[in-house]
Amino acid sequence: MNHVARFRMLERGDASRVISGLEQRFDLIREPEQRVQRVVYETFDWRFLAAGSVLEHRRSADSGVLLWRSLSTGELLGQIATDTVPRFAWELPHAPTVDRMASITEVRALVPLVSLDSRLDVHRVVDDEGKTVARLTLDRTRISDGEELPAVLELAPVRGYGEEVRSAAELLSAQMTLVPEPDDVVMIALRSVGFAPGSYSSKLRLSLDRGSTARQAWTVVLRALFATMQANESGLRGDVDSEFLHDFRVAVRRTRSVLADAKDVLDPDVRAWARGEFRWVGQITSPPRDADVFLLAFPEFEAALPPERRNDLKPFGSFLLDEQRRAHGQLVAALDSQRYRDLVTQWREHLEAEPNGNDGVDPERTPDAAQPAIAVAGARIRKAHRRVIRRGRAIKPTSHPEELHELRKDAKRLRYLLECFGSLYPSDLVTPVVRELKGLQEVLGDFQDSQVQADAIERFGQQMIERNGASAATLLAMGSIVEHLDTQGLAAQESFRHRFERFDTKAVRRSVKRIHRGRHISTSAEDHA
Amino acid sequence: MRVIATYNLKGGVGKTATAVNLAYLAADEGARVLLWDLDPQGAASFYFRVKPKVKGGGKALVRGKRALDDAVKGTDFQNLDLVPSDFSYRNLDLFLERTKKPTRRLGQLLRPLRKEYDYVFLDCPPSISLASESVFEAADVLLVPLIPTTLSLRALDQLDDFLRRDGLRSPPKVLGFFSMVDRRKRLHRDVIDDAAAGRRRVLRTRIPSAVEIERMGTSRKPVPVFAGSSRSTVAYRDLWAEAKTRF
Repeated sequence: MNHVARFRMLERGDASRVISGLEQRFDLIREPEQRVQRVVYETFDWRFLAAGSVLEHRRSADSGVLLWRSLSTGELLGQIATDTVPRFAWELPHAPTVDRMASITEVRALVPLVSLDSRLDVHRVVDDEGKTVARLTLDRTRISDGEELPAVLELAPVRGYGEEVRSAAELLSAQMTLVPEPDDVVMIALRSVGFAPGSYSSKLRLSLDRGSTARQAWTVVLRALFATMQANESGLRGDVDSEFLHDFRVAVRRTRSVLADAKDVLDPDVRAWARGEFRWVGQITSPPRDADVFLLAFPEFEAALPPERRNDLKPFGSFLLDEQRRAHGQLVAALDSQRYRDLVTQWREHLEAEPNGNDGVDPERTPDAAQPAIAVAGARIRKAHRRVIRRGRAIKPTSHPEELHELRKDAKRLRYLLECFGSLYPSDLVTPVVRELKGLQEVLGDFQDSQVQADAIERFGQQMIERNGASAATLLAMGSIVEHLDTQGLAAQESFRHRFERFDTKAVRRSVKRIHRGRHISTSAEDHA
Repeated sequence: MRVIATYNLKGGVGKTATAVNLAYLAADEGARVLLWDLDPQGAASFYFRVKPKVKGGGKALVRGKRALDDAVKGTDFQNLDLVPSDFSYRNLDLFLERTKKPTRRLGQLLRPLRKEYDYVFLDCPPSISLASESVFEAADVLLVPLIPTTLSLRALDQLDDFLRRDGLRSPPKVLGFFSMVDRRKRLHRDVIDDAAAGRRRVLRTRIPSAVEIERMGTSRKPVPVFAGSSRSTVAYRDLWAEAKTRF
């Protein structure tokens, strides 16, 4: 037994009686009761939970500590003495624990989710050497200014002593006043204030019904994408971290792509209106995202310069920060506009009003709507794949950069189709196509980013001169970054052919063909027969 | 993961006390720490009240029959784990001899734990043997407690020579420091002053000869736990802080 055993105390239960029962068989040493205020922190996309852990700041009368602990074993994964919790993990005082924590959070902010007031009554279970072999904690927690949670009794074996306390866990399991509790108190608290731990992920987690019509499948996908936009809007407005805007934009781009591939599936008027409006949303979110990308890449820019010249780049960093603030302000204003409000209201109404069956589907205006989603999406995936192959094969080392840019857009469209409708098909068909496509997109993305960023740096340099003058040293440093980006772009361009060849293979083509023909469907039907 | 070994050819110079107290301080700062008590006498295990027993003994560990991970015991302190001593460690050289590349064996055993711990302390027995060569190969840093005598400084030179000659792939950094220092002794004062004038690799921090360090044996806890404001605790804190700047 290396895992924590948790029990919920029934209301009629008496913890002291349970503990005295244990004392008959084990040596227990009672620690002084701790009264702590706890604030639970997470990233918006539940990265600590995904790593099987929780992060909480505990404050007692005289100190504050950030505790990062495993949910399954109760072991501490790290602790940092600090009175305040910064927005980002990397802002904590440098320590190995902080590096590990920052590798979990990456660019995501630490967001406080719930405050708790706890009374922790800890008994150490000790062996004949006086060595602690387990900790028994009675956790009585109340949501700050809120409800009292059921008391939880937790037995956490010290590592390597699971066998020694197995019988203690069995003894607790046999108590009539205790019921097994699968969840940590923090999880119970989060649920009780309305969170659904683990509910948000930046990955699209769709499981479409393979028997659905095209209209139904498209609607499910668009609803999910709209939900993602909505989920990110508040964090985006508050500029909590750059990923809110990133995920919002990805949802918008996916929406636009799905709409582009919704011909004959969705009502043409609605489709045309929505495509126009989401294109606008894409446009208004571009400038702040560009600034974010520059700020995220800034350490890499600095590293590309010799140490003695890094200071020269500082004014550019300040300029980017100003740009980011300005662009973010403009975005918030656009989100407050009547146009955006109308878009949200009307799009929601439209998605809610979409028929679940085929009622109200007009075969004249939307001839594919009532067709099986598997067939319609399969045809569109094949078409998108052909476009990528045709354009990719035509690219030569002498081709204009614009050609690569167009190929990148085609590849993206195929990727979105596969991500949004992939659950209609067996994963062994979809996964290899996505894997090779991803590799191709990385190269195309690197090329595009280097081009766009190099152009933008030149433009920024011009703006800096116009605004308040930039020193020659700063402009020279920015020039070196442009050179660095050009070199990166060249490297990406050179690896394009190799990457494309890995995508343009018989195996990928066969998978796409099978997705299109729906052969897997008949195969599975035969299996059933 | 950084591997720090406390080592000296001589016994009774404060190796175990250093390993135990620094491991505790590192864990107390929030790092995840493992202390491997390689000394068959098992003093570090005793200080942490862990029974000096490993299932299958050193043989099973060295041969890979039992993963090091399985032998890990949590101490009474958060983030601080221990691989206990075992009386069979006295035959570690024999077990190592029978493996292919014996000097690399300890490093290989530690490798699977590299993501789990920030620091691994190896508390070594006093000898130069195959086991210590394996420690030199596995360690990033050798912390060498030195009683301030002329001979102990010579021993540090000899250790340096040995490491240079031994053809290690990446020899550890050797950081000596004065231990069991008694300022009332003229010899101690003179040796320390001489070293301060010449030797860069002897750390500035000195660990005093103090009663609270001796009391570790009766309280069976690291010094900062039972004598938090003592000068020994202050010295160990300083030593840890200084050593970290030299890693």
